[in-house]
Amino acid sequence: MKKRFNLSLWLGSIFVFLLIVIAVAGPYLAPYDLEYQAKLRHEEINGKQSMVSPPFPPSEDHLLGTDKWGYDLLTLLLHGAPYTVFITLAVAFIRVLLGTWIGLYIGIQDKEQRWWMAIENAWSYMPVFIPVYFLLKGININSELPTFTLVLLFIGLVSVLGIPSVASSVRQKAEQIKESQYVLAAIALGAGRNQIVFRHILPHLKEQLIIMMVTEMIAVMTLMGLLGIFDLFVGGTKMTFDPLLYHSITHEWAGLLGSYRGFIYSNYTWIFLVPLGAFMIAIGSFSLLAKGLRDKFEQTYNRTPFI
Amino acid sequence: MTYVKQLLGMFFLVIAVCGGPFMLYTQKEEIVFEPGNIIVHTVYLIQQIAEGSLGTYYSGQTERSIAEDILPFAISSFELLFASVSVAVVASIIFGLLLQRFRIVRQFQKVLNLLATIPDFILIVVSIVGAVGFYKLTNIRIITLSPVSDSESTWFPITLLSIGPTIFLMKVVSLKYAQIGGEDYIKTALAKGMGIWHVLIHHVYKNIKPFLIADLKKTIAITVANLFIVEYLLNVVGLTRFIFSKDGGYEFNAAVMGLLGIILLSILVYLLIRLILYVIERAVVYK
Repeated sequence: MKKRFNLSLWLGSIFVFLLIVIAVAGPYLAPYDLEYQAKLRHEEINGKQSMVSPPFPPSEDHLLGTDKWGYDLLTLLLHGAPYTVFITLAVAFIRVLLGTWIGLYIGIQDKEQRWWMAIENAWSYMPVFIPVYFLLKGININSELPTFTLVLLFIGLVSVLGIPSVASSVRQKAEQIKESQYVLAAIALGAGRNQIVFRHILPHLKEQLIIMMVTEMIAVMTLMGLLGIFDLFVGGTKMTFDPLLYHSITHEWAGLLGSYRGFIYSNYTWIFLVPLGAFMIAIGSFSLLAKGLRDKFEQTYNRTPFI
Repeated sequence: MTYVKQLLGMFFLVIAVCGGPFMLYTQKEEIVFEPGNIIVHTVYLIQQIAEGSLGTYYSGQTERSIAEDILPFAISSFELLFASVSVAVVASIIFGLLLQRFRIVRQFQKVLNLLATIPDFILIVVSIVGAVGFYKLTNIRIITLSPVSDSESTWFPITLLSIGPTIFLMKVVSLKYAQIGGEDYIKTALAKGMGIWHVLIHHVYKNIKPFLIADLKKTIAITVANLFIVEYLLNVVGLTRFIFSKDGGYEFNAAVMGLLGIILLSILVYLLIRLILYVIERAVVYK
């Protein structure tokens, strides 16, 4: 069969690779210090002295502009990138790892596990965002915990709460494969449970697990973005009173998106559009990768219909 | 009996979820995990319900009674939910089923599928940015943020809310259309010379319906997830007011009532949509 050039896979891989490079090197590439604030200054425009104050729109000095308090947006984004990318990767990895383990274990049981089905059922209608919101609400805002602990806590919470959905799809696949002829043959020949799982079921799930990992990354980023909209930023929220403002401590992208959302209604829309753009590019590259992988595996296993 | 059991289970799930901030919090530099705290609050909540009041909550600085506000809030949330789910169902039946055979509709769906890769909340935020930009350019106002404004328009939040479920349900229906379209009985029906509308309504629709119903629950779940965002970002006064207070404080009673209300509303919407589908079926399909 002729192989078609898989554009989404290539583009997706390149973009995801670039994201990881930015996440690793970002803080070193940043044009300004994290604490640097552009100050109010006097400039001569048309022979007249006039005062310019932040926010500065995108210019040569500040490629993506500054926010209302004079912080360079590009610098903030580059410093936040490691958090965004590595937290996403970590959560997706833990979810898929533990989800596969639980899903396989429950899928190959002889009897249907009632208690698990109840959890799965209830959980599938509950947006994960709701329990995460309530659990983080008590710890995340103006917390005295170190940022690192908060990040670890977030990773733990979001991973655990996301496991049932991953486990559910692994379970369904495992149950399907369990019924197939070759597994029955293996059982007849005396294969043990481990043999069946590692020799027969897991190899069949390999591709699906890779796709699941990428789609979980998209889900995690979406969740982070949602929490950001509700002022819960990964790694801690700093709340200041008078005026009531929420700041992201880590400058993680979803956090920036959430904390700058008020600027939608201002004249400085770029302050909001810059993190929005970065966030969309990140999600877009994961989506492209997922689509590319799906196309690739479909090509491999494609069976042409008779009609 | 099973219904009562399910309702009770739901109540305790809601309490467990809403109790999050009491269960897990920080004290100085330590994380405290105390599930027992929830029980204290739950007992207090049940006591208040037994006394016939639902407790109070703070809106800004004023203390208000939940029982007084819950009905108007629920009605406005219901309007949003019901309208959006109806839009999703109607659009997916019309475009996913009845007009699916036209090429232009399929192209339109390809565009929608492309949009579906973007998370719903980003679509909502981008639409708000778009609406603000549109206002700046043309001075035509399509978005009202003040909940007490007299030019309050509900069609904008409804439109935003229906994006997510419509894309999802339309995808399901058109996927099934493609599968069922290849079945032998469709071929037979066409070979017998039956009209296309007859085949669509009596053969394709009847076979798609189980999937439509099965995914209706998922559709409503998606709509509810988006409802939180739309009400919060567009300042719609609805049940989510009880859950997300904008000035930091957290109120257990209000959150429980809000979440329970939303779950009950989604059950109501589900039943209503089933009823409407049934009535339409009686009128159109089984005349």
